[in-house]
Amino acid sequence: MSALLEVRGLTKRFGGLTAVHDLDFEVREGEILGVIGPNGAGKSTTFNLIAGTYAATAGDVRFAGEPILGLAPHRIAARGVMRTFQHNRPFAGMPVIDNVLVGAHTRFGATLWSVVLGRSRAEEARRRERAAELVQFVGLGELARADVTTLSFGQGRLLEIARALAGEPRLILFDEPAAGLTAAECARLAEIIRGIAARSIAVLLIEHDMHFLLPLAHRVVVLNFGAKIADGLPAEVRTHPAVMDAYLGSHAAH
Amino acid sequence: MKSENPLALRATPLIRGAGAFIVLAGAAFFMGDYHNDVYRKLLLWVTLALGYNFLFGVCGQVAFSHFAFYGIGAYSIVIFLFQLHLPFPLAAICGIALCIAFALAVAIPSTRLEGFYLALVTLALGQLFIVVLNEGGTVTGGTGGIANYRLPEIYGLRLRGPWYTAVIALLVVATYAVLVRLDRSWFGRACRAVRDNPEAAAAMGVDVARTKVIAFTLTSVLAGIGGMVYAFVDNTVNPPIFGIENAFLLLFMVIVGGAGRHAGAVIGAVLLFLLPFWLSPLVGHHHALVFGVLVVAAILLEPRGLIGIYDRVADRYKGSPSR
Amino acid sequence: MQDFFELAVGAAASGCVYGLIGLAYLLIIRPTGIINFAVGEWAMLAAFGGYVTLTKYEWPYPVGMAVVLGLMFVVGWATERVVVRRLVEGGAPLLAPILALLGMLVVFRESISVTFPPDPHPVPDAFGIGRLELGPIGGTYQSFFTIVTALGVFIGAWLFFERTVAGKAFEAVALNRRAAALMGIDLTRVTALSFGAGAVVAGLGGLLVAPNISAHYLMGVPLAIQGFTALVIGGVGRVAGPLLGGLLLALAEQLTVRYAPVPAGYAQGVPLVLLMVFLLLRPTGLLKAKV
Repeated sequence: MSALLEVRGLTKRFGGLTAVHDLDFEVREGEILGVIGPNGAGKSTTFNLIAGTYAATAGDVRFAGEPILGLAPHRIAARGVMRTFQHNRPFAGMPVIDNVLVGAHTRFGATLWSVVLGRSRAEEARRRERAAELVQFVGLGELARADVTTLSFGQGRLLEIARALAGEPRLILFDEPAAGLTAAECARLAEIIRGIAARSIAVLLIEHDMHFLLPLAHRVVVLNFGAKIADGLPAEVRTHPAVMDAYLGSHAAH
Repeated sequence: MKSENPLALRATPLIRGAGAFIVLAGAAFFMGDYHNDVYRKLLLWVTLALGYNFLFGVCGQVAFSHFAFYGIGAYSIVIFLFQLHLPFPLAAICGIALCIAFALAVAIPSTRLEGFYLALVTLALGQLFIVVLNEGGTVTGGTGGIANYRLPEIYGLRLRGPWYTAVIALLVVATYAVLVRLDRSWFGRACRAVRDNPEAAAAMGVDVARTKVIAFTLTSVLAGIGGMVYAFVDNTVNPPIFGIENAFLLLFMVIVGGAGRHAGAVIGAVLLFLLPFWLSPLVGHHHALVFGVLVVAAILLEPRGLIGIYDRVADRYKGSPSR
Repeated sequence: MQDFFELAVGAAASGCVYGLIGLAYLLIIRPTGIINFAVGEWAMLAAFGGYVTLTKYEWPYPVGMAVVLGLMFVVGWATERVVVRRLVEGGAPLLAPILALLGMLVVFRESISVTFPPDPHPVPDAFGIGRLELGPIGGTYQSFFTIVTALGVFIGAWLFFERTVAGKAFEAVALNRRAAALMGIDLTRVTALSFGAGAVVAGLGGLLVAPNISAHYLMGVPLAIQGFTALVIGGVGRVAGPLLGGLLLALAEQLTVRYAPVPAGYAQGVPLVLLMVFLLLRPTGLLKAKV
């Protein structure tokens, strides 16, 4: 299994504060990699660096061998790296299916000119059908034509996933996908994420909740104070002393 | 639907467009000169409102330069035809090129910045355009503008009276068709995504700045083409038509009608255009006061505009959501 | 040189008026983020207030001025109460109040146009017509009165933001509305006060400039643009920004009229060109915000 996403020496400083320090890890084809850590460990910063929202201070991120660090977010998406948002960010003025179609933006081949001449209808219909399948896949089938403002928080999260899948990614970045979901919704979400990996799409999961992440991830990277303190299989990480100390220890103290 | 004859299915939008054109153009042949003139201006306002709605309602960009581009189109065709004596097709192409050049020059730097910059830059551009027209000497004719010209013969045809109105009807139908097609494509969805949540749009692969620049340039060029057509409606162009006041009115039309909906733009344009005719016996020349009150009321009470009210009434009677 | 000093005093007076209009924008932008183009119309309303109280009823200047500015506070407060509050508290996007205030611009202007005939209405100078000579520097009483009054307002605004608890509350709201609300600052009140104060400052600008240009229902939009240009040149980061921007703008205008080899009409284009140049090249203005 070759590395699809390689992160090498990734560093981000905000003024005097080092949020991420010399971070190395990789995501392999088709695997679910979990990144965990206590609050303030640098998880979100790492996520935003890979997604292109923040500019890194130093380091290198390669996707399928090509450097993507420093590219604008829309260019990273076009390469096949899609993301979800922790706080759902639907396009409020569009129905569910159109939201999903925005996710497919980079996959449309029709030029503006052919749109104006009405030659892009077949492609539009094909994409719409495919988007409907994705809406079905995440379990929002009956709501395809609904106004997104009527969705519950959990349904909004599912929409985020369908929208990201529409971009036909090779890698999906999940930003704390379980945050704010009920136990039943979490179970459903885990099932969907497994389904995504089964379609041989690699998954990078940034997550605070270990109980959600450990049974799901193939491998885990543990961050604390912006640096990697452990990585390995979920079972290894669970019993790793440094992790117990930094993460579970702090939890136990609550 | 699939079982229908594919040829018939493909012809449908064309037939609908042709039908709309025949009705809109045909009406002109039953009107006298005065009503033809009013009708032409109504159709031009509808064209402008459709384009402005795409920029403001669909793409979420506030700009006050729409009438400046209308003016650039109108003045450029007149100047190119009658001062530089270019042939008609070349004059039209040069006018469009000028609109594109100005639109790109404004949009590229101002869409790079977040927030309200495009509105402010275009506000300045709109005002500056009037200053240049007023001080332009013999080229623009100063405050008096340019008059005493006529639409030249094009391929031996001299379009006049209701036949010229038919040209404007064609412009309305074509503008509507182009904008609806764009709206229902990946481009229209990208515009709406940029309006609703630019950061999420970028994460979905939408080049936010580029989308804004294309939407601005495209609608500005549509306004410029409208201006070229307008130049032969009154056979005179003068500065006040292209000022910031009309740009405000256009914005108000779209807000009152319902921003983001093509039908809303049409309703708003028709209503606010005709309102002064009905109101002048009551308030004289002060109909702008009514416009101001209407727009404030629309924003406060019904942000989706008149089309939003229509939707709600329609829903109540049909019992199903419509979009 | 004499010519230049004469020009400089006139420019300084105009610049102070632009600065006041710019300050009116700033007072509202800082806590709310709302760009209120109706400030020019507020200046116009106050100029007409000056016409009614000072020219028509011939009240003493300080009384007329106090009454007009008092009424302007009510106008600003009422504008916020009727048009802005619902939108801000209803969570509407920032664009909604900006566009609603654009509608109010038309409402204010047309209300005056309905009430008064369309010709210019004279408004008297504060100290009558006369010239003051201070060594090489000379100008009309009104010019010096405008400069002194505007400087007083700017010093007052600076002291308010720097030295008073209420001013700090304004700043807190400007930095982070939610955090300010958690600290117990009454957002609604701060917003209402910012509109009231904005209307008073804009009204003062209108009252001071009215003797030169007379009260006219179309005077608002040019003032709104000049004031906004002043704000953009100077920057919203500091209270002194609009004053600096206003002075530079007025000087540029006067120099263009006097010395530039273009028709005088192009002077109207000066603020527009400066506005575009600054928006595109230096959107933060000349003065950096203090962190």
